Amino acid sequence: MTALTARATPAGRRHPVPWRPMARATWLQQRAALITLLAVSAALALAIVAGQLAIRALYARYVADGCVLPQSTDPNCGTVANTFAASTNAFTALVIALHVLPVLIGVFIGAPLISRELESGTFRFTWTQEIGRTRYVLTTVALLAVAVAAVTCVLGALLGWYAHPFDVVGDESRWQAGLFDTTAVTLPAWTLFALATGTLLGTLTGRIVTAMATTAATAGGFLVAAFWTLDRHLLSLGALTARASAADGVFAGPLNVPAGSGFGLAGSWLVRGWITGPGGRELSAAMADRVQSRMYAAMTRAGKKAADPAAWVSAHHYAQWVSYQPAGRFWYFQAIAAAALVALAVVFALTAVWLIRRRG
Amino acid sequence: MNVIETSGLGKRYRRTWGLRDCTLSIPAGHIVALVGPNGAGKTTLLHCSVGLATPTTGQVSVLGCLAAGSLDALERVAFVAQDAPLHSYLTVAAMLDLSRDLNRRFDRRHAEHRLRSLAIPLHPKVGKLSGGQHAQLALALALARHPDLLVLDEPLARLDPLARHDFLAHLMIAVAEDGLSVVFSSHVISELERVADYLVVLSAGRVQMAGAIDDLLARHRLLTGPAEQASRIGELFPVVQARPAGRSAELLVRAAEPAGPPGGWQASGVTLEELVLAYLRDPSVSVLPGPSALSAGTRHEVTR
Repeated sequence: MTALTARATPAGRRHPVPWRPMARATWLQQRAALITLLAVSAALALAIVAGQLAIRALYARYVADGCVLPQSTDPNCGTVANTFAASTNAFTALVIALHVLPVLIGVFIGAPLISRELESGTFRFTWTQEIGRTRYVLTTVALLAVAVAAVTCVLGALLGWYAHPFDVVGDESRWQAGLFDTTAVTLPAWTLFALATGTLLGTLTGRIVTAMATTAATAGGFLVAAFWTLDRHLLSLGALTARASAADGVFAGPLNVPAGSGFGLAGSWLVRGWITGPGGRELSAAMADRVQSRMYAAMTRAGKKAADPAAWVSAHHYAQWVSYQPAGRFWYFQAIAAAALVALAVVFALTAVWLIRRRG
Repeated sequence: MNVIETSGLGKRYRRTWGLRDCTLSIPAGHIVALVGPNGAGKTTLLHCSVGLATPTTGQVSVLGCLAAGSLDALERVAFVAQDAPLHSYLTVAAMLDLSRDLNRRFDRRHAEHRLRSLAIPLHPKVGKLSGGQHAQLALALALARHPDLLVLDEPLARLDPLARHDFLAHLMIAVAEDGLSVVFSSHVISELERVADYLVVLSAGRVQMAGAIDDLLARHRLLTGPAEQASRIGELFPVVQARPAGRSAELLVRAAEPAGPPGGWQASGVTLEELVLAYLRDPSVSVLPGPSALSAGTRHEVTR
């Protein structure tokens, strides 16, 4: 037997990545899923545009009445704001739909991507073609990632446009958990995360239904965790602290200050509010409640004209504090959240490719 | 050049070995039949050769010295897996498109011409084709890549006799036209002789017999004679298989040259099926090319 020399690619031989043929191949294989995605996205986009047009006139009146100006006391503004609040149902439904969309993309595009090939055995066909299995899987995942990120980026941008009036009026805030994860930056990031999660779980399980179920649980679980706790922890990082005066309109509690309302912390995100006593120590929640009740009682006694909460608070040697994220940091935090999600997505996708390379 | 060359090749699946210590060289320009019972390691050997399986031990190279499964190897080796898995949800035409997109060398017109001559339409879904059409489509896709080596895993397994006949006929025409080497595994021994000219018998994860079919047949004889003299024959020739048939005995022996049989014994040639079955019945017997077989090409050793 002659000596065996299993050489790799001879020096100088290059195998360029055939992007254009691979784009066609990906389209051929994912056509049904991609057409469905486009149809669903188009429907969502139409709903967003319709919703925005519905509140457009109302918002124009709000702006025309000068309600956006600082400290507007026009009673008309309150009425408009209330009407606005009544129209948030459609908006909320769309926000929920956009939360579900990345999970659906993970479940219906990511999870079957590899598991369908493994389950049906077609990997024995695709992985032995000239392209080679590593390049085949990498280019397919990359092309799908670009496609779903582009679609969800547009949807995120549209939702931001729809959300803006609500943000200005103060009914919603772009910082709050629901909206923070559905912007033009974070929505594609969540989508890529779900897509990569599905791809990895599909590679690990090799079963379509198992992969879809575990992807729904994992990606959905992460999204719910972000909604309930992760976002809040993220947005408390490096928060600024300020002593609040009553003029800021903030006493305590996690309330957001409407963007553009002209208050001191306009457009910022209130992380926490608290009260310190005469000794400079933070009051317990029970104590703070008691102080608040005493203040309200004093205000009531003093009558409407003489009421000055700030004067009462400082006269009794209390101080109100808030920690907050200034409005200017919004996109930094968006970038941080998106970078973390995309990094996880890249790790998941590369792990899947590594498993596929090792397989056999 | 050897189209497949392995050295000490072994593949373990969890606890069991699918293939063990397999050293083999298959020369180019043949239609090679790889036979063996279920679980003998045929699929494992073929998967190792096309890069679908990674060897646990040893090495495997194809077409001279290309690492199995490397991009250079994939460019010149086409593989049709068992049951020819294709995308059942695509139409035949889309399947051709997909193959074109995954292979730079794919010759779409070649494939279309082949399908037209087989009267396989382009518009139905691949999943709607009959078993024979499905196998022919997989073969057409593989041949349109103009490979130097075509590897087929059990291409006949699910075909009815007519489809089997057609498939082999088309395979032979393609080989004659393109001059490629073919390695295919099969359970069906009876039809091999018509197509294959080189045989590899795998048994229990090891190579039991390998060589040109004519050569193997020429070196075996079926001796029939009195049962009581059977042990004497065993001293003269290596006996592959002894079959008592009443008062006479039938011995399949490895006869180095067509010397006349001892008195009272009749010698006859063996068929490929008899030969393969005899070896498969006793996995401890093997006939492999000797150490100098590649240069001499004739010497074979029987070990027991």
